[in-house]
Amino acid sequence: MNVPITVTINGTAYTRDVEPRQLLVHFLRETLNLTGTHIGCDTSSCGACTIMLNGQTVKSCTLLAAQADGAEIMTVEGLATDGKLHPIQEGFWQEHGLQCGFCTPGMMMAGVQILKNNPNPTEEEIRHGLEGNFCRCTGYHNIVKSIQYAAKKSAAM
Amino acid sequence: MKLQTQKTDKNFDAARHVCGRSQFLDDLTPPEGTLYAVVFYARAAYGHIKRLNTSPALACKGVVAVLTAEDILQRGGENQIGGIIPDEPLLAEHDVHFWGQPVAVVVATSAVLAREATQYIECEVEPLPVITDPREAAAQGELIMPPRTMECGNVDAVWAACDVVVEGTAENGGQEHLYLETQGALAIPTEGGGVKIISSTQGPTAVQRAAAKVLGLPMHLIEVDVLRLGGGFGGKEDQATPWAVMAALAALKLNRPVKLVLPRQEDMRMTGKRHPYSSDFKIGLTKDGKILALEVSFYQDAGAAADLSPAVLDRTLFHCVNSYYIPNVRATGYSCRTNVPPNTAFRGFGGPQGMFLVEAAIYRAAEALGVDASAIQAKNLLQEGDTFPYGQVTERCNARRTWNDAEKAFDVAGIYQKAHEFNASNKWHKKGVAVMPICFGISFTNTMMNQASALVHVYSDGSVSVSTGAVEMGQGVNTKIAQTAMTIFSLPPHRVKVQTTNTSRAANTSPTAASAGADLNGKATELACEEILKRLLLTAREELNAQEHDSIELREEFVHHNGAKTALSWNNLIQAAFFKRVKLSEQAQYATPRIHFDKTTMKGHPFAYHVYGTAIIEATIDCLRGTYTIDNVQAVHDFGQSFNRVVDLGQAEGAIAQGIGWMTMEEVIYSKEGRLLTDALSTYKVPDMHSTPRMDVRFLEHSMNPMGIMNSKAVGEPPFMYGIGAYFALMNAIKAFRMGTGQIAIKAPMSPERVLMALYAPLHEPQLTEISHEA
Ligand code: FES
Ligand code: FES
Repeated sequence: MNVPITVTINGTAYTRDVEPRQLLVHFLRETLNLTGTHIGCDTSSCGACTIMLNGQTVKSCTLLAAQADGAEIMTVEGLATDGKLHPIQEGFWQEHGLQCGFCTPGMMMAGVQILKNNPNPTEEEIRHGLEGNFCRCTGYHNIVKSIQYAAKKSAAM
Repeated sequence: MKLQTQKTDKNFDAARHVCGRSQFLDDLTPPEGTLYAVVFYARAAYGHIKRLNTSPALACKGVVAVLTAEDILQRGGENQIGGIIPDEPLLAEHDVHFWGQPVAVVVATSAVLAREATQYIECEVEPLPVITDPREAAAQGELIMPPRTMECGNVDAVWAACDVVVEGTAENGGQEHLYLETQGALAIPTEGGGVKIISSTQGPTAVQRAAAKVLGLPMHLIEVDVLRLGGGFGGKEDQATPWAVMAALAALKLNRPVKLVLPRQEDMRMTGKRHPYSSDFKIGLTKDGKILALEVSFYQDAGAAADLSPAVLDRTLFHCVNSYYIPNVRATGYSCRTNVPPNTAFRGFGGPQGMFLVEAAIYRAAEALGVDASAIQAKNLLQEGDTFPYGQVTERCNARRTWNDAEKAFDVAGIYQKAHEFNASNKWHKKGVAVMPICFGISFTNTMMNQASALVHVYSDGSVSVSTGAVEMGQGVNTKIAQTAMTIFSLPPHRVKVQTTNTSRAANTSPTAASAGADLNGKATELACEEILKRLLLTAREELNAQEHDSIELREEFVHHNGAKTALSWNNLIQAAFFKRVKLSEQAQYATPRIHFDKTTMKGHPFAYHVYGTAIIEATIDCLRGTYTIDNVQAVHDFGQSFNRVVDLGQAEGAIAQGIGWMTMEEVIYSKEGRLLTDALSTYKVPDMHSTPRMDVRFLEHSMNPMGIMNSKAVGEPPFMYGIGAYFALMNAIKAFRMGTGQIAIKAPMSPERVLMALYAPLHEPQLTEISHEA
């Protein structure tokens, strides 16, 4: 039996009937076609599916869509506002914080959380905040730099 | 033509990536009516299939069909996907040869329903004895092909002249690719009984060829299209093929689009990995460290089918002397058939295993001579005019240059000194340092594969479209190809679009692999653009009524006449050419010149050029826990004339991290029954945020390379092998703790578990008791 849920995603409210076992990440990707959130491992290890739920990062492969009823969600598609890149997006772009780009949306969401907790994090704090996110391409250094860039940029705004 | 490369320091895809708008296979909106396929795989590593009953699955909710080998035979196809040797069925027929081998494909209205239904398939396998060890396979005569030997000089005659002869063994483990995007494909039936396959593959033609064979269709009825990959690393060179062909088989049977995407665990269980090797060596030197002879036997764990193993083994033989000149070499390779998934291409393609071996031999020789390995390394570096065991002579050899530059730039003597002082004053923490020079040959070792084509169109609005055989997987090849076109036409980035890799636009392509994607496809692009440019300049000459000896060139979207900007813009020039019916398209092929190789003598000139470099790696271990950090990697690397430093540096850093992962924490473990135990990210550890060292990679100055695109050098694979230095840095740290007592077995990966055991292994026991893993 499907259950009705209402979630607000990137500022838009969606009401849908969902299969009770549907994962939130599948709801985002398949039902709403928000495919910027990726699936890398299915088991909450890689962080590719990281999104913001009520202001906190969560791995959307670990939650059911039904659990998100009433929640405010932000995905990578909601980072830019009025056609302007979010500082974290600018950071990843400027500092070459990506190669294949598959881990990038999750990395950026984790980055947003780090800066939310601490607008001026040390390198160690950035690394700590990114512990749950894997990247197989970059070797991570440019990812750290991307977040440092975003911190500086946000401070200047 | 001498050109200033059009600079861009950004990956062209970056803007889309950061907005979540770049599309990967699984992001495409599937066409109306798409069905979903899930693979049912063997739960036994070796045995006869006694009974296979798929009807209970067919009766499940949502299930539309269950396909087996029978479906291939019924349509007159061949159940065969082996690329080099036809020894690999798409779906198991009478026997299974590895745990995880695909047996059937369940197709349903959703992936969830299809997956549920796989549980109801009944497959009874009568078990046979399983082999998971390559030496055991060799002992039983289970070889993929006859052994191969590469030889130069006369090793047998030289041992007597050596002051020291050291024998030993070295072992390296496998490595899971862990491309972050798993394997997948979407197949859509097309009119006339054909199929379009959108695949996450490094080898679109490999998919097309295999699909043609399995489906019993001519290649022209199969169109393969690749947008981009979420990482490949070799894991999608041949092993993207099965899923694409299964999807196509189902799509044609049901006349509906079919999508097949592997979940991570199934991907890890069903696909092959980097080859583990177990090897014996004998090395002979003079007392001052000159290497006179090296004899090696490599036992390669090929897995259950040939896949690319023969070619991988060749590269192991090619690179078993790394950066050193060794006058007498005999290297023999055994490709051993075991009951694990067929091991396959992975960044370095057998090269890393060869280099690991020679470094192990040098390490042991250094112990015997009582010196640091770096003393022997330095003494034997390749020089201009030296001959490799395969007969090629070095040209523009930069081995010594990168070594010297690194020594100076990073104060290597000082690094050793500091580690020494640290060790003298710390009991429970020890530092180790290792130097790792590399020399890696660029070109597919199979000469015929060194070709590529490009199709360039200039549209009437002045926009340019480029199609090649190169697949973008994060390495920035599309950026480099676009830069090539931008440079030749002197255009800004927004004017040039590199299209998807499509077998209808680029035929008979080689996979994007061997670090050669940018070289081969970039050169083809260069040729095509230059042909168009020639015609455009002729048109411009006419438009401007220029004299015969006047110079006419394109600069920043305007024609320049005798160096002066004219009013004739790029757009107007294209319009003029179009009206004059000048051909605005060109298809070009590039075939690497000069290379050749004779497989019977194992001699020739297999590589267009070599990439050199030297890295210094430092590690610190905690001698109570066995844990460690790789602290620092500093390298001088030969990029040639890099034309995208940001992209190239990113490749180098990523490769180093992956190389260190292979040598330290990444451990592929199969149970004795052949079941993969490390089949999830919770049990298979890859480098994370904390495990990548500080890195300082410098560009070797004044390195020219006319064989590469715009004088650059290929970059994807070579830096991976700096990771080998991490292994020996750890060995040195352990040695410092043991104050040189006892001999530590050379067995990678050097996981913390192994470090701990090595720290406290009994004094006079050269071999460690092996860790045993039960399922
Ligand atoms: S897919 Fe959710 S953490 Fe990997
Ligand atoms: S950029 Fe490819 S996984 Fe991070």
